[in-house]
Amino acid sequence: MKKLLALVCALAMALSLAACGGQPEQSTAAPTKQETTTKAPVESTPAATEPATTEAPEPEKPADYVYKDSVTTLSTNWNPHTYQTTDESYPTDFLYMGLYSFFFNDESHPLEGKEPFEGYVIVPEMAAEMPVDVTADVKAARPEFNIPADATEGYAYKIALNKDAKWSDGTAINADTYVESMKRLLDPKLLNYRATDYYAGDLCIAGAENFALQGQKEYTAIGVTTTEFLEKGGKVEDLYVDAYDFWNSDASYTDADGNSLPQYVSVLDETVYGENVDDAFSGKELYDSYLGAGAEYESMSPDELYTITGEYATGLDYDKTVGCYKTGDYEITLVFGKSLAGFNLLYNLSGNWIVKVDLYDKCLTEKEGVWTNTYCTSLETSVSYGPYVMTDYQADKHMRFERNENWYGWTDGKHTYVDPEDGETYTMYQTTAIDTQVVEEAATRKLMFLKGQLMGYGLQSEDFDTYRSSDYCYATPGSTIFFLILNGHKKAIEQREASEGFDTTKYDLQTLTVLNFRKAVAVTYDKDLFAATISPARSGGFGIIGISYLYDPESGSRYRDTDQAKKALCDFYSVDTTKFASLDDAVDSITGYDPETAKTLYNEAFKEALELGYITDEDKDGVCDQTIQIEYSLSSDSDFMTKTINYLNEKMNEVTAGTAFDGKIVFVKSAPYGNDWSTKIKQGMADTVLGGWNGSLLNPFSLTDLYVNPSYQYDAQWFDATTVEMTLTIDGEELTTNIKNWSDALNGATITIGDKEYCFGSGRADVETRLDILAALETKFLGTYDYLPMLQDGSMALLSQQVYYVIDEYNPVMSRGGIQYMKYNYNEAEWEAYVASQGGELKY
Amino acid sequence: MGKYVIKRLIFMVFTLFIITLMCFVLVRMLPPAELPPGDPHTKIVEARREALGYNKPYLEQFGIFLKNVFTKGDWGVSDVLYFGQDVFAIFVSKLPATMIVNFYSIILSIPIGIALGIWAALRKNTWVDDTISTLTMALISVPSFVYAFLIQYFLAFKLGWFPFLMKEGTDWFSWPMFVSMIPAVLSLSLGVIAGFTRTTRAELTEVLTSEFMLLARTKGLTKVQATVRHALKNCMVVIVPSIFGEFISIIGGSLIIEKLFSVPGVGQLYLNSINGRDYPLFMLLTVFYTAIGLVAAIVVDISYGFIDPRIRMGSKK
Repeated sequence: MKKLLALVCALAMALSLAACGGQPEQSTAAPTKQETTTKAPVESTPAATEPATTEAPEPEKPADYVYKDSVTTLSTNWNPHTYQTTDESYPTDFLYMGLYSFFFNDESHPLEGKEPFEGYVIVPEMAAEMPVDVTADVKAARPEFNIPADATEGYAYKIALNKDAKWSDGTAINADTYVESMKRLLDPKLLNYRATDYYAGDLCIAGAENFALQGQKEYTAIGVTTTEFLEKGGKVEDLYVDAYDFWNSDASYTDADGNSLPQYVSVLDETVYGENVDDAFSGKELYDSYLGAGAEYESMSPDELYTITGEYATGLDYDKTVGCYKTGDYEITLVFGKSLAGFNLLYNLSGNWIVKVDLYDKCLTEKEGVWTNTYCTSLETSVSYGPYVMTDYQADKHMRFERNENWYGWTDGKHTYVDPEDGETYTMYQTTAIDTQVVEEAATRKLMFLKGQLMGYGLQSEDFDTYRSSDYCYATPGSTIFFLILNGHKKAIEQREASEGFDTTKYDLQTLTVLNFRKAVAVTYDKDLFAATISPARSGGFGIIGISYLYDPESGSRYRDTDQAKKALCDFYSVDTTKFASLDDAVDSITGYDPETAKTLYNEAFKEALELGYITDEDKDGVCDQTIQIEYSLSSDSDFMTKTINYLNEKMNEVTAGTAFDGKIVFVKSAPYGNDWSTKIKQGMADTVLGGWNGSLLNPFSLTDLYVNPSYQYDAQWFDATTVEMTLTIDGEELTTNIKNWSDALNGATITIGDKEYCFGSGRADVETRLDILAALETKFLGTYDYLPMLQDGSMALLSQQVYYVIDEYNPVMSRGGIQYMKYNYNEAEWEAYVASQGGELKY
Repeated sequence: MGKYVIKRLIFMVFTLFIITLMCFVLVRMLPPAELPPGDPHTKIVEARREALGYNKPYLEQFGIFLKNVFTKGDWGVSDVLYFGQDVFAIFVSKLPATMIVNFYSIILSIPIGIALGIWAALRKNTWVDDTISTLTMALISVPSFVYAFLIQYFLAFKLGWFPFLMKEGTDWFSWPMFVSMIPAVLSLSLGVIAGFTRTTRAELTEVLTSEFMLLARTKGLTKVQATVRHALKNCMVVIVPSIFGEFISIIGGSLIIEKLFSVPGVGQLYLNSINGRDYPLFMLLTVFYTAIGLVAAIVVDISYGFIDPRIRMGSKK
């Protein structure tokens, strides 16, 4: 037996050793740079913590300061014309540069009225100079761009290009690069995802849309109600309904033959789509039942019904169509379809569209009319013109970037800053290499971080108690305010109550629509405590607009810091500002929690609901017979959701104790609705959810559209913004119109009040007026009690002791300076020695 | 036998076709990834979907798919996860990592598992058997990611013997690569070792009590001779097919282990291709794994006949 065991063990060992084969390859394979780094012997004596006594780095190491990063998803496509997600854009900060860049203000880049590192300046980067407005010249010379006759500025700019800019292989970047790249970006056959960025937003290059969408049908919303459309001579057969938006459907809806649902469906089309998803409809049915003249939802027809206004012309000549052309070897002229100037112009040009044309063309392939492009999807097809160049790429595993020695920024003397601590001048981008690995599990990231192998670690819920007070912990506010959306869809609620299986003697939903009830819920929860309990990285949310939004990006001024915004909160939370020394103190006193008021409101709501017959009190004990069961719309269940629901119930029970709703208000989880959670809320089929919007941090004004536009509104089915009037005094003139109009006017539309036209868009009204309107709208939105602010989004992360931020204060535009301003306490050799001296495990 | 194999192969092709058709239609019935309402990119995305033929009837799309595969060997180009890249090339580039990690795991697991099983069977109802059986049950009961975390915590974090993650690069047979694979290999092996130990012990215990073993001993063979020549040989009827099964699973990958140790393999490709609605990638993987599963079933069935000549495949007698 012993022999047999010995034999088996020997066999196992032999096989195991065989598995370690490949000896010849091992001896010939050159170790990678990272292997050298990780395997380098380190003196672990106490003296090793001092740089002077640390073993000198091996001479072959090119990277002394390596930023060791981790991602959960590695980019597979960093082609500037086709990337789609934030994950995909990860390498772009290292490889590409915009025409203009943001620098912190300091002695080298001073900003009037600001202390160093309080603000930022915008400097030419791939451009050589600031843009020169040539609107008048271009208007005269190039009428094909249709610059408005009365426009004298803001439509065309001449941009001198940085002559030192080169591709990482040393090839020059000139005006041809920009023009040829734009041609490819907008090429209609390539259908590049990023083409839209150059015509659909603020940055709208003249003719770009027409060129990119050649041959496609153009649908335009009718902009009036169906009745008005027909009265003006419009024909029903010309109408198309946007089925994706109105019915919240998509291409997965098919007809009986398996054909996918198109976005626009003729209102006469009787083809039934969606039987496969149990939500069938036809274009005709949508029109007849909902959007036609006199139908239930006709008020939505201006935005949901479309007519074909044409087909984008084909065979266009780029040079005669698109407002991006060469006016010198190192100069381009950009012509815009709509005016763009000042900060917004430079901000929009902080990106770039250039590609290395010869390589790009080699990467293009066509199959059955569909073009695909492998440019910037691998090491071989990748090229840089930024401070770093990609040196290693393994899909779903690893990326490495090292200094691009052909980058002009190392020697132009412009990419420097004066350290606020020591007053010395340093070159930006101290980091010599960026090594990025895929580490999907947070637990693994934490262990690696504690071993000194990663530069940062985003705290998970279980880490907050341990690390939130750490000197190395940084909080970063997000852009989203999460609010509890409260169901107010009376019709849907009535239908739900009338359905079989709903016992109205035990449960009630209608009370949810009683205003006092909604007001009571709004003051039931301490927002900061809620955040601290269920999501400690976040903080309490009080307004509709978050703390990160800047109303004046040039000065970096935040909306929430304005008097208008503060007054809006005080008004909503009924804070008597006269009792406080300052408006700031008044705002600071807001917690969102007022149990006494809440109790009063619950009792009033009880009486009201009783009178309306929503609830009963058969035994006359002053307590509601029914339980108000508030269904929380889940996308999927999780511990976070359980914690949230438990908290909401616990605090609700505390506040309702002794009231008519004592123990009678319960939040319950819905079935997991997946992506349909928002549909359920919008249709009143679920009663609440923590939801939120975010938008451009530099334009809080644009957020108002989310609360007045039925395409976005969660409460569109029971709140019509065109029916709510608001009066404001603007320049001594009292103006009254509905809040949809106010929102539109704030965002650049011209509206008519009385017989006068008004527009309060950017550049059309002074900032104070715009802030007054924004704050008044915010108060109105809060006053619907459809959205109860609960959480200000945010995150917390630990930063490695190897590095530090040059400035701790978070800036919504500059963040904390990123890799550009990252500074190192230790180089690689010193760091290894330091980690070893700490026993291989760091304390934070 | 030949007739049997041909019959099985025909059924295999038919089954493969049915599964492929079902998967093709079902995955296309999933709603496409949502864009935010009003997203200006919608028009371009929709135009691209149209150009790719995703709005055509499913059966027409399936016909085009089959035509491309059979006439050009073209499995398509990834449109979501690996934009513009050939899905077959992506899959092939990811196979080595999975295969090597699993191969190491198997050649470590099989001898150890069988050896422990034999030891436990020969020491039946002793402390050795009890210990091995208890450990085996524990390892089988605990999900692999639990001991994967423990291995990572103790061997990589506390002791620092191994890196946390598998090394990057394609130097599959270098020493640093091997060392970096050890935590993943150990995590994969423990469950397999336990499986083989349990199977071997159970089979051998039964065989050792058979009458022919008594006969073998009475004709003068030593215990070792009787065990090796007669008992082990009979056990192999069950063990060898499971070894085949393990080898076939080499290319399957493990979602959890690959994720935890950052093995750039195929483990997550399938799931990602469904979540990302990357139809060409999904179809390639579906056909591949279905074919592998079906072939494995045939190979295992046929192997019984070779291991034990008494078993006649396809025989009506």
